[in-house]
Amino acid sequence: MDMHALGEWIYGTALSGALREYAWAVPVVQSIHIIAIAVVVGSALVTELRIAGIVAPDESMSVVARRYLPWMWRALAVLLVTGLLMIIAEPDRTLNNVPFWIKMALVVTAVLISVVLRRPLLQPLSESGQGPARSLAWILLALWVAVIFCGRFIAYIN
Amino acid sequence: MNLEAWLEYLRNTTIAVAISQGSIAFPILECIHVVAIATVVGTITIVDLRLLGYRSHRRGVRQLIEDILPFTWGAFVLALIAGSLLFISNAPKYAHNEQFQLKLLLIVIAAINMGIFHLTIYRRVAEWDERLPPPAAARIAGATSLGLWLGVVFLGRWVGFTL
Repeated sequence: MDMHALGEWIYGTALSGALREYAWAVPVVQSIHIIAIAVVVGSALVTELRIAGIVAPDESMSVVARRYLPWMWRALAVLLVTGLLMIIAEPDRTLNNVPFWIKMALVVTAVLISVVLRRPLLQPLSESGQGPARSLAWILLALWVAVIFCGRFIAYIN
Repeated sequence: MNLEAWLEYLRNTTIAVAISQGSIAFPILECIHVVAIATVVGTITIVDLRLLGYRSHRRGVRQLIEDILPFTWGAFVLALIAGSLLFISNAPKYAHNEQFQLKLLLIVIAAINMGIFHLTIYRRVAEWDERLPPPAAARIAGATSLGLWLGVVFLGRWVGFTL
């Protein structure tokens, strides 16, 4: 099944019709999506800038990670649900959209870096581990900004 | 010059015309605005939740606020600049938009709320810096701020659907 056929099928579902029937549904879902983005950005900003040694350098990394990572995962779950609802409401707007797929690739990259590469780095860092950890912190922040840019460009580029 | 003429003047400035006529300036400004808003709301939420009693990376409120608020302010200035440029690209239409007016009103109320917090209960922060839950006045300030900023995001997104 190609993307267009998939889009047609999604468009015909009852949920898709319901989301489009109520004028407030899509703006509300998008607003919740943006609030969840804000939670990811806030958590990522403090966590990454701590790793980069800019925010609260006297506080231990594990305390910072323990406080903010759970919020980040919860927000990512909300983003997944609201994002899926937006796709269901307007499948053609997203499934055939280049910025959308770039955004998805960037999100997967950011999450993989957070999970696979960062977990071991959050153990007490050796001198040799600090450089790579700091670079990754800046890369992650840049990735989240790029994700937001791609998200907004879904509305402009097809 | 009355308000209408002034809004019309803003829309016809060189920079406003460049933003509204160009294909790339408006979306780029929107991206910057969203990144800035996400930073404002994301960072202020950390402080608001701490005022409501949710722990942050700092034990004390004062240290948390000193860590976080510079980023909130920096991002707010960026959001304001990008937002102003988006505004002038179609000043009369935004100025008459009810959602936009309400959004500005909520931001003003959020500023007043923050001012009251800093001038009253925060003055005595040494007495409750590490106390959980924080005093009622701090919790009220945090809840009010959180509600107002969520409202700002909703209204901001809504503006895009009404123009």
